[in-house]
Amino acid sequence: MTDRSTVTIYGIRHHGPGSARSLTRALRAFEPDCILIEGPADAAEPLSLLRHPEMEPPVALLGYVPDDPRRAVYYPFAVFSPEWQALQYGLSRGIKTAFMDLPVSAQLALAEADGAADVSLDTPAQVAEGLPETATPGPHPRDDPLRWLAEAAGYGDGERWWEHLVEQRRNAEGLFAGVLEAMSELRRELPPAADDFQAGRELGREAHMRTVIRAARKEGFDRIAVVCGAWHAPALVADDMPPAKSDAALLKSLPKVKAQVTWVPWTYGRLSRNSGYGAGIASPGWYHHLWSYPENVTERWLTRVARLLRAEDLDASSAQIIEAVRLAEALAALRDRPLPGLEELDEAAQAVFCFGNTLALRLIEQKLTIGDRLGRVPPDTPLVPLQRDVQREQKRLRLSPKASREILELDLRREIDLGRSLLMHRLALLDIPWGSPEQARGTGTFKEIWSLQWLPELAVKIIEAATWGNTVLEAAGAFARHLADDVPNLPALTALIGRVFLAELPDAAEHVMQRLQNEAALASDVALLIDALPPLANALRYGNVRETDARLVSSVVDGLVARICVGLPIACGSLNDDAAGEMLGRLAAMHEAVTLLQRSEHQSVWTAVLRRLADLPNLNGLIAGRAVRLLLETRSLGPEEAAQRMSLALSAAADPLVAAGWLEGFLGGSGLVLLHDEPLWGVVDEWVTGLSGELFTRVLPLLRRTFGAFAPPERRQMGARVKGGGQVGSPSAPGLATPGGAFDRARAEAVLPLIRQLLGI
Amino acid sequence: MPETLRATSEQQFAGELEALARADDRPRPPNWKLSPWAVSTYLLGGALGSSTEITPKYIGNRRIIEIAVATLATDRALLLLGVPGTAKTWVSEHLAAAISGDSTLLVQGTAGTAEEAVRYGWNYARLLAEGPSSRALVPSPIMRAMQAGKIARVEELTRIPSDVQDAMITNLSEKALQIPELNEQIQAIKGFNVIATANDRDRGVNELSSALKRRFNTVVLPLPESADEEVRIVQRRCEALGRALELPAEPPALDEIRRVVVIFRELRDGKSTDGKTKLKSPSSTLSTAEAISVINSGQALAAHFGDAKMCAGDLAAGLTGAVIKDPVQDRIVWQEYLEAVVKERPGWKDLYRACREIL
Repeated sequence: MTDRSTVTIYGIRHHGPGSARSLTRALRAFEPDCILIEGPADAAEPLSLLRHPEMEPPVALLGYVPDDPRRAVYYPFAVFSPEWQALQYGLSRGIKTAFMDLPVSAQLALAEADGAADVSLDTPAQVAEGLPETATPGPHPRDDPLRWLAEAAGYGDGERWWEHLVEQRRNAEGLFAGVLEAMSELRRELPPAADDFQAGRELGREAHMRTVIRAARKEGFDRIAVVCGAWHAPALVADDMPPAKSDAALLKSLPKVKAQVTWVPWTYGRLSRNSGYGAGIASPGWYHHLWSYPENVTERWLTRVARLLRAEDLDASSAQIIEAVRLAEALAALRDRPLPGLEELDEAAQAVFCFGNTLALRLIEQKLTIGDRLGRVPPDTPLVPLQRDVQREQKRLRLSPKASREILELDLRREIDLGRSLLMHRLALLDIPWGSPEQARGTGTFKEIWSLQWLPELAVKIIEAATWGNTVLEAAGAFARHLADDVPNLPALTALIGRVFLAELPDAAEHVMQRLQNEAALASDVALLIDALPPLANALRYGNVRETDARLVSSVVDGLVARICVGLPIACGSLNDDAAGEMLGRLAAMHEAVTLLQRSEHQSVWTAVLRRLADLPNLNGLIAGRAVRLLLETRSLGPEEAAQRMSLALSAAADPLVAAGWLEGFLGGSGLVLLHDEPLWGVVDEWVTGLSGELFTRVLPLLRRTFGAFAPPERRQMGARVKGGGQVGSPSAPGLATPGGAFDRARAEAVLPLIRQLLGI
Repeated sequence: MPETLRATSEQQFAGELEALARADDRPRPPNWKLSPWAVSTYLLGGALGSSTEITPKYIGNRRIIEIAVATLATDRALLLLGVPGTAKTWVSEHLAAAISGDSTLLVQGTAGTAEEAVRYGWNYARLLAEGPSSRALVPSPIMRAMQAGKIARVEELTRIPSDVQDAMITNLSEKALQIPELNEQIQAIKGFNVIATANDRDRGVNELSSALKRRFNTVVLPLPESADEEVRIVQRRCEALGRALELPAEPPALDEIRRVVVIFRELRDGKSTDGKTKLKSPSSTLSTAEAISVINSGQALAAHFGDAKMCAGDLAAGLTGAVIKDPVQDRIVWQEYLEAVVKERPGWKDLYRACREIL
């Protein structure tokens, strides 16, 4: 019976629209009664969802270990994937359509056995894909068989060669036979795979595919179409197959693990290479275009470019489209190519539409070349791993989702509450707003209050977030990193870092800090830099920042302090009173942060800058005054020198407004400080008493202006104090109760019994 | 033949152009001396058959030259854009030489460029004597290029006042030049085209009107891609310049060139070569041409005031001058750079001290 059946092998390139088109045409001509496709054989159940009306590519088959969802593989499909087209063809005709590759259960087990236990988001491609693994430049050509052929043909990389030869080809006659022949030749010439793991897995995969083909022939199908990556094609040719027994033995020896397969929505962004997805394709949007419009590719593409630019308020006229088409075609001709490729189109767009500017080109790349299409899966699709992880966490932390709103009070010193808090913070970061934080009453930092409410749409949000990772921790980390790359400015980054610290995501924290450092290096606004500092200083001093984080944070803090100190004198120049008022607040924040950090090198730089500020001519008085005051506080300036500076600033030649500002800055706008800060009182007092009568009359308006702003009770107290100080007779330290003659022993002893009673002695 | 200081490209590379024309069997656009393929080869260099070697005129991305040539082949005008010192004029001259065999039809754009320079002027003696006639007309380089089917070059297009710029619109879109005084029209012969260069640092001087901009395909000439490439360009030019100025100093040490190139690149790119430190960029362009001039002045200092061997001290003044163009902002940038990068880098202490000294 095996003699009756015809097996035709179609070697394709994953996600190649040209391959897909050729394949559908070839299938229509061949009219198979059975289609076998490279894909995990244990995905039969999800396959039934494929014809569901709500299924919309790009989607991915996700295989994972239910107990450890971090171990997962993805098989993405786009509408232009040959496999997708073959599936649709087979299912719509009701003929047998099945996957034939090694089951996910074996693939994951193999990966584990190799020690690559975390076949996580970063590497699924290598498990999922057989062919264009150009992103991992392995020495073995099996990793990128096309590159070898392309190099032989004089092309720089395999992708482009394949593109010109296959993807852009309009007629497909003899294509698959040619591919098969080329690959057979290549496989014959190549040495066996160097990497045992890769080689072993490949042997297993091909053995499984052969076994499935044999089974199909036994079942009595006449015309079997086999769709696989071009590399595998020669191994599946019926005449050259090794005996069935050896394949069976090989398959028996493979390890297995319990695995589940389901569909998840995918995006073109994730399909593209630059999202870190190894075997991705650089330009899904462009392929989609090639697939959707077989005719007038160039004209349609450039028209779409023009329309996109117009939508973004950039000029793009029809005349320019014509010119761009001509340029693209001339470029293709100059390079001896039959049709302009993406490269030529980009160059034409840049020269004609963008006036050489690359910014608009990036927009084109993002919106058109990659595209922002998001797939959909039917609602009855089995759960994704992230959902499972959320459920597991809910169980572990004894938090059941309820539709009504409830208040949750957490004491972070308890382990379970800390876990709950982390879960809430992580979900919030992922934009899954199950709980929203409420203002905690009381001042303890160990208390948190959340208001919890479970809404049905949260399930959708979780599936959306599932693209970021398979556990809450992982997804939150990946998403935070993504956010960090996206947020525009320093304050937003600072806000983000706070959330990341709260959610305890060390990896993400590292990334965000890196971004913060880069952003800080570019920021020219010192105010923004200063605003970024306090949260970091706080985290460093009080937060539960881990050891590694602390080092990172401290290096960022070092950078910030250095930059602020370099830029501050200029930033303080030519400020009006309002701006200076704002700056005053920032100086205080900065001073507080530096004091908090207690690092001598910061303090010395900071003192130097304050000194410079104090010395700068033409500085707004408020700031100069405050600088002197801060210097006085840190004892970098003696009281004598402070008094000297004060009299300089308030001398007759000074602009009265500046002088008033200086005094205000110096006194800090509050009489209370003056009352209770002994050295400050001393300085002011020394200065006032040092004035000659005539001079005093002249500065009186200034003093009145500043002191008049103090509250009346404060002024009264000051007056009392000055009077009292006079009685004591020590003008330099009027407030001090100096031990000596004025000390009334009898009166002091009178209070002792009461104190004893209070202290319980 | 008297010794000219500098020969035009078509004179200097006459041999190469001739060899290319002989070997060139590809279709040529009307009135082109070479096919587009041969023009690319002329600019990018390459072996021609077994005997002739074409020297590269432009070291850099092949695609840029291909876009430029393809643009000219589709009879669109070409605008070469780039910061000063990225070989815009150099490329335009060689393109004109290769395509038309004539790089001399040149309009130098200045704030004072008048309409006569892009259209036509009058020989007033003849105009008064004979009245308006075509004999009294003084054609501009662009008009002559139209009549002869050649490439005309416009240098510094954005420095030309806007009204004069717009006078070129009909030349470019209708490929014709109206002479209302004679009720005549000059129609361009096939092969006519315009290559303009503009500096995108001072785009604001006389920004192109969008009508004119639309007539051009824009090609941006970037700064050299890799440090090695840039070092090669700088070294080659410095040696040539040193010879021309007859400097007695030793040829510049490769290490010093590398240092200057690295500093320029790092400041330009806004990050250190190892990718670890982000930096602010100064307002100055820091082009390859400026690197050449820093090395050159360092060489001159070493030759005339030093021991003929260029050291960090000879470079410091030139470097500081090249980087600090804005006395406030650039100074911060340079200071930050010195502290964050130069000071820490092993073996750069001498340069750090020399630069700090004059700052």
